[in-house]
Amino acid sequence: MACSGLCLLLFLCSHAAGNATLFISTSLFQSYADQLHSHPLIVSVFSKGLFLVFAIHIVTGVLLFLQNRKARPRNYKVRTRAIKNSQASGSMIYSGLLICLFVLIHTAAVSFGDHGRIGVTIAEMFGSFLLSMFYILAFIALAVHLSHGFWSMLQTFGISHPNYTTFIHRLSYVVPLFFLLLFGTIPLLFLFGTGN
Amino acid sequence: MTNSIDINLEIWRQKDSRAAGEFEVYTLQDISTDMSFLEMLDVLNEKLTREGKEPVAFDHDCREGICGMCGAVVNGIAHGPEPETTLCQLHMRHFKSGDTIVIEPFRSRAFPIVKDLITDRSALDRIIQAGGFVSINTGGTPDANAIPIPSATAELSMDAAACIGCGACVASCPNGAAMLFTGAKISQLCLLPQGQKERKERALSMISTMDSEGFGNCTNERECEAVCPKGISISNIARMNREFVKASLF
Ligand code: HEM
Ligand code: FES
Repeated sequence: MACSGLCLLLFLCSHAAGNATLFISTSLFQSYADQLHSHPLIVSVFSKGLFLVFAIHIVTGVLLFLQNRKARPRNYKVRTRAIKNSQASGSMIYSGLLICLFVLIHTAAVSFGDHGRIGVTIAEMFGSFLLSMFYILAFIALAVHLSHGFWSMLQTFGISHPNYTTFIHRLSYVVPLFFLLLFGTIPLLFLFGTGN
Repeated sequence: MTNSIDINLEIWRQKDSRAAGEFEVYTLQDISTDMSFLEMLDVLNEKLTREGKEPVAFDHDCREGICGMCGAVVNGIAHGPEPETTLCQLHMRHFKSGDTIVIEPFRSRAFPIVKDLITDRSALDRIIQAGGFVSINTGGTPDANAIPIPSATAELSMDAAACIGCGACVASCPNGAAMLFTGAKISQLCLLPQGQKERKERALSMISTMDSEGFGNCTNERECEAVCPKGISISNIARMNREFVKASLF
């Protein structure tokens, strides 16, 4: 879970960097996409690897969810959480499945579209209010998922030390917010007509 | 000043491990707020006995918060609403007159219910049997300071050793995981020089026993740390994860 989560996080970083070119112009984004696709071997290895990582993360996530449900055959009548902000950790499977739905729709639109005019495709896509809103909803789900997932990953790897507790706590807000802002402003940019 | 309160109780009653079980409702009047939670249950049981009914079975022993025998889920929280307090040390002054208190047994696939609020927590004992010990040759009493241990390390080990093995971590975990218990027991020994000899075997065999006993998997919900009557930190779970990786790879 944590290993595949880390790979997905690294992918998110590279994807965010690529997409950031959209802030400058669609033509710069187009040239980034053209550059990428001029190395078919790299694209093929990375896209297959990424698919595998997604599959591993989703299958282990769903198995974990089912196994853990079985570990308490009968639930409590009164369910009180002693931890107050437990919404993100308790809904990992649901935020994850929403991201999964998003990834399916997003790849259908982008990966199997015409790469030669990808910049235009993106601009057209975000012209649609509903689609843009769905994208933003998915980015919120991603931020919620990461707000537990990032810290959870570090704890799973055993990265925990009293000197760094505050730092790690801050990172678990900063990392999801960073991705939310970066990805979320792209559809807004096009919706409000400032994207070009 | 002694006050007394009237309370309503909803308690899980189950005849034996195979019976279906259900909640039963009781009312108690004039309960002194100086009573402990278990004393309140004693009063209920005396009343039930006088009425010719079966008293509520619940586990307890020391009644001073050190043995780890007591424990039930009170209004959804293992050991009740007070932080770092065992059920036997919880007092009725934390409740108001007219309150309804729902009392349920610790629920986990690994803790089968024996009767009413009593569960069989021997799965935790089997985790200890798998490696929660150090093998040393006994002889004359060794000098107390024969093995120097830095005070910070001794403190960390003592903090982990404060675990009384009550199982509240399992009861409160949404996944029924026993990682806080196992993490504390592994940490307590792996931090000390005496625990080095069996360090790797210990981590691997305690963790595999934990898995085979039917506990769930930790997803870092932090519920265990919040209810632990001894305030055991989840940094012990992180340490166990490091021990596991080290023992598996090197
Ligand atoms: C870009 C997409 C995603 C990223 C960056 C990501 C990242 C992470 C990270 C870092 C973790 C923490 C691992 C740990 O517990 O130690 C995690 C956990 C999890 N993820 Fe994802 N994830 C993504 C998509 C998904 C999807 C599509 C699902 C679909 C089911 C999913 C389901 C889960 C589940 C169930 C957990 C375990 C929850 C837990 O341990 O508390 N994730 N994710
Ligand atoms: S009875 Fe011993 S800890 Fe509560």
